[in-house]
Amino acid sequence: MSPLALLRAIVIAAVLTPLAALAHGATPQKVVETIEIAAPPAKVWAVVGNFQDMGWLPGVVKTEGEGDVTPELARRKLILAGGAVIDERLVQYDDAAMSLRYIIEHVDFSVLPVGNLSATLKVLPAASGGSTVEWKSRFYRAFPGGNPPEQYTDEVAVAAVSNLFKCGLAALKARVERE
Amino acid sequence: MSFRAGAGALLLMLLAGAGARADEAFVPNQSSDDLTIVDLGAMTPSATMPIGGKPAGIAVSRDGATVYVTSPEGHFVSAIDAKARRVVKRIGVPGTPMGVAVSPDGRRVYVADMYGRDLLEIDVDSEATRRVEIGAMPSGVAATPDGRLVIAAARDDNALVILDAASFARVATLDVGKHPYGVTIDAQGGRAYTANVESDDVSIVDLAERKLVATVRVGSHPYGVALARGRAFVANQYAETVSVFDAATFAPLATIKVGEYPESVAASRDGETIYVTNWFSNELWSIDAETFKILGKAATGDGPRAFGAFIRVVD
Repeated sequence: MSPLALLRAIVIAAVLTPLAALAHGATPQKVVETIEIAAPPAKVWAVVGNFQDMGWLPGVVKTEGEGDVTPELARRKLILAGGAVIDERLVQYDDAAMSLRYIIEHVDFSVLPVGNLSATLKVLPAASGGSTVEWKSRFYRAFPGGNPPEQYTDEVAVAAVSNLFKCGLAALKARVERE
Repeated sequence: MSFRAGAGALLLMLLAGAGARADEAFVPNQSSDDLTIVDLGAMTPSATMPIGGKPAGIAVSRDGATVYVTSPEGHFVSAIDAKARRVVKRIGVPGTPMGVAVSPDGRRVYVADMYGRDLLEIDVDSEATRRVEIGAMPSGVAATPDGRLVIAAARDDNALVILDAASFARVATLDVGKHPYGVTIDAQGGRAYTANVESDDVSIVDLAERKLVATVRVGSHPYGVALARGRAFVANQYAETVSVFDAATFAPLATIKVGEYPESVAASRDGETIYVTNWFSNELWSIDAETFKILGKAATGDGPRAFGAFIRVVD
């Protein structure tokens, strides 16, 4: 999928709204996506564990950041094709367990209609020397109160995050298995 | 002790156990829209009740007879006959009812309207309501054991509000850490504890002096606090740990690894056991309050929140 097609796929709302100032809905949502990769965990983690380079995610044209992989200090800006930016902060990093957790500090709802998103990326050993990558997240819909407009429902938020993770994991698999 | 005497003692303990009923955890599951009741003696789920409205907040009357569950997306509070496992009535609450506490005499419930600015007092019999402004994002609520004070967190004002329960008026507003969420009051009614989600610490407030006593660093994204054996146990959602510190000296004592996205934490009535809900992994874990070892795990429904004091005393 091309970067622009991915962006179109995850763009739900047509316009930016002032709702970004508000926090989140009342009910947190869960998304868990996994993929099998025919490569050893260490090789997959070498890509996934580099918090300062999210270039494997389709749609990201540049990663700018600081703080390496130090939890709470490490930050990154994902610069998307078209110029939108996602601000993220690393909150947990376990090299031995091949697991990291980050939060989105800011994203326009036109890019991803969610609030208070945290996500964990983890590489697990799979059968015959391969890897399983698990990407799981907790987040709220973009619209915090009751009766959300149709572009900001729980279902829309879950679909957007699920689609993003699926696209990302497919691209990760293609990249690591190609190398 | 001989083997025979030991076996006899064990048999007696088993017989005693069969007669006494264990206390229970009432765990609202927000994603599966229901409530799991966990037998804390066996650490196994004993019943599931449909609730609806994305249930999240919980309070239990002191006598264990009635359980109150908030449904923020259903805009109601359910009053549950705990023994019969039956919803006795639903009280409509406009807005987003989330945090809840029950007065020690069992006659009133206090409900925080999270996306409004108010705390509501509801007479459970007449459903007569009073309200008072708390501030931005009213969250956790607790009442002192003598029933004279109600404490509520104004999350986005970074404040704890102290209310006089009789007049239902504010008597003090105290600055705490960033985004206070859960509120817990000690058994003496002397101090209130709140977990500050954004500043990764716990604020401790003296209720008589109406001032901040201490701020204690904990793990990433703390949600709730439980008190037992002179210690505070704090569930850290992102760190996936329970931080333990000495409630008198504030010295850190332990960091206990728990399940995924722990949120609510409570102590058994004897203070020997700590219970923590794990929102992502759908479990209630029990922890020894002395050794900090994990004692047991019980499956819940999907997305256990149990925001509030979720242990029901069974006599």
